[in-house]
Order: sequence, then structure tokens, then C-alpha cells
Amino acid sequence: MNYMEEVVSRTAETLVKASTTFRPDQLEAYREAVKKEKNPNSVWVLESILENASVAEKTRFPLCDDTGIPHIFLEIGDEAFLPPGFLCAVEEGVARGLRELPGRPMAVKGNDAERISQSAGLYEDSGALAMAPVQVRRIPGSEIRLTVLMYGGGPEIRGKTLRVFHKHSVDVVIEEMIGWGREGAKLLGCQPCILAFGIGRSNVEAASLALEAMARGDFSRQSEIEKRVTDGVNETGIGALGLGGATTVLGTFVKVGPQRASGVRVVSLRTGCCFDPRRATTTFKFE
Amino acid sequence: MLINTPIEDAIIGKLKVYDKLEITGAIFTGRDAALPRLVKLIESGKLAELGINLQGSVIFHTAVSPAGIGPTSSNKLDIESSIPALSKAGVKIHVGKGSLSPSTVEALRVNNSVFAVNPPVTALLTSTIRSRKVVAFPEEGMEAMHLLQVENFPVIVAIAHGESIF
Repeated sequence: MNYMEEVVSRTAETLVKASTTFRPDQLEAYREAVKKEKNPNSVWVLESILENASVAEKTRFPLCDDTGIPHIFLEIGDEAFLPPGFLCAVEEGVARGLRELPGRPMAVKGNDAERISQSAGLYEDSGALAMAPVQVRRIPGSEIRLTVLMYGGGPEIRGKTLRVFHKHSVDVVIEEMIGWGREGAKLLGCQPCILAFGIGRSNVEAASLALEAMARGDFSRQSEIEKRVTDGVNETGIGALGLGGATTVLGTFVKVGPQRASGVRVVSLRTGCCFDPRRATTTFKFE
Repeated sequence: MLINTPIEDAIIGKLKVYDKLEITGAIFTGRDAALPRLVKLIESGKLAELGINLQGSVIFHTAVSPAGIGPTSSNKLDIESSIPALSKAGVKIHVGKGSLSPSTVEALRVNNSVFAVNPPVTALLTSTIRSRKVVAFPEEGMEAMHLLQVENFPVIVAIAHGESIF
């Protein structure tokens, strides 16, 4: 297999894995939530989500029919060789993965105005759904780590990126994050939520950091800030699917970036759904 | 509780919030693109031309595609704004997810219709489908209105007779 075909096939395989499986830390977080949850309706939802994950993995069927917009998080080793055409092969791999999954055929046809108004129809080809612009980070070593994240649409209605005046107190920012989480969780519809925050100096940096939080977050390793946000939103008692209970939020992922001298921090939130983060990672090493 | 479609008003009258239902029979689908168009057909008196009878029906807010089915957010503008007119036209159970506004809760009450939710568990929900066909707006692709034959399709009542869990 030449390296281009290897990148295409492994990207496709990673996309399918992200869309059809739960990771061990995700499964454990749900099992723990079932044990702690006292509301029987919420238990029904949480157990349904676990059963759905089991069936999806066995049958290689999507966890959710909103198979999501592919987002790529690329970590490039300082000593890694990036072969020519690498991103082209990733794009082709994403398209192949969407066809194999199959992804929901939701790419919109037409020129700018037609795409906005959805007036020229949809492509029947699942693979026509373009991936979002790639996010890149550098890492030590000679490997390239490629993470595929599938972003469903519901959380995009409940997310936001906005400035917060911190008043030189981290508590002010955390309380604002809890407030946003509560606001989003109330309306989301597919709780338990997974909240992903980026805190940066510009709108684009904060949104990129929120994606990094989604790409690297682990339910079994929650920071003090992450725990505070989760507990603060869980106090609402909204519960799974809005049916009441202790599990409004399953976990929170926060990535705090560099900051600038200012009374302002820019915070970006994705009010993730019960399947977030739908992600999987593969590693390449080219000589 | 087992529910067969079409559904009589008396059965809806007995439903309460948090009731778990399993629906068997024909259910319609529709979401952002199809539901406002369906309302326009009702308002223009052209619904019958498509052979669609909404009396006693269920509408599931979902796309239908090779990726399966699953509830979309019912509080999106295009979907929630269609609920009053569709309830008046005979839809008895609207199935989706997410909280709805007080005015929609009232429109459901007035028309003796209910709102039910289910988790977005696509792998499980898709397994309840016995058959599917497009009944309107095929040009909308995955957002076309479908008629699904389902067996033991699980939902939980979230809004009924002026009471809401949200």
C-alpha cells in the first residue's frame, strides 16, 4: 500500500470508528452515571444510550442519525515528515469514510445564496459533505496524530463564543461558564450534555481551543474547573432528555489558552450532545 | 402503554406526562424543510391531493436517510411554529426532543395533542422500522416527508393537557 492510500483508508476507518463507538472512558462515565442516578426516567435514557452504543459498535451503524460535520484535529511532531498531498488524502479519506458509514446525505447544493437558503436541494452522496477547516498543533517527536471529530448540529444551536469581563477573578469566569451551560442544557434536548469550553484571546482562538478540549478531553480525568462546571450545571436537575435527575452533564472539557493583559477573556462553548465527543485517533509515521 | 395508529381522541385524553409509550403502525416524518410546506398545503386546502390523512396521526421530527432516524430539536423555528397548525389538522402525537414554549404547550392543549420525546438512539430507533416510503416533497432529500411503518417505537410523553416536564 502506498502512503497516500494508507492515509485515505486509515482516515476513513477512523471516521467510521468515531461515529459508531464509545471510548472506554465514555462507557465508564455512563455506567457510573447509571449507578448514581435516582430518577428512573433518566436511568431509562442512560441505559438506552449504552445499549445504543453496544448495538452501533456491533453493527457498525451510526450512534446518531445526525452523523455530523467532520472536523480534523492534526498534531504534527516537530521531527515528523509530512508527505506531499497529505491533506488531499485526508479529504479523500473523510469522503470515503462518510460513504462507508454511511453518513447522512446533508451537503447543500448551489451558490452562496442558494446554500444559505437551501433552495437548490441536497447532494445524494454522503461523501459530498466537506470537512471543516483543519486545526493544527505541534507535538514532540516524529509522529503525526490525526483525530476525527464528528460535530452534530443540535449543539451548534446551543453553543456560543463571547467575551467575559473577568474582574480579575477566575470565579467570575467559571460562574459565567456555569450560566451558559445551564442556559444551553435547558434547551438542548439530547442531555446529558458534554460541555466543551475554550478560553482564549480572540473568537477564533477560543473556538479552536474548544475543539482541542473536545479532541483531548477524558471523562476519567476531570480538572477542578471542569468538575465545578459539571456540578454547577447538574444542580439544575434538568436530567437526561430533560426528564429530571442528577445527570444533566456527563462531563466538561476545558482548554485554557494563553491570555493577554486585559479585563476581557473570550470564552467559546459547545453544548455537546450525549454522544460527544464522537472522536477517534490514528497515528502516522513517514520515513 | 402500547399505542396503535391512528389514535383516537379518547386515548390522548388519558395520557399524562412521563407516560412511556410504544407506538406501532404508520407514523409520518418531517422536520425543518417539510413541516412549513405541509402547513402551507393545509392552509391552501391541497393536502388531500397528496393522499395524506393527518387525523389521529403521529409526526416524528426526524430526517430519514441511510444513516437511520433520530429526533431533531423540535424547538427550531421551522418545526415548533408548525405544531399548532398540524395539531389542529389532526396530528395527535408530535415526537422530537427539547423544550417547547408556553404558547406551543397551550396550542397542544387546545387541540388535544401531546408532545413526546425519545433519546437520539439511532441504532435502536432504526431497528423499529418495518417499511418506509416518501409521501411528499421528495426534492428535499433526507428532509422529505416519509411514512414509516414502525413496531414498538419508544417515546415518553413530555407535554400533555397544559402540563410540561420542561
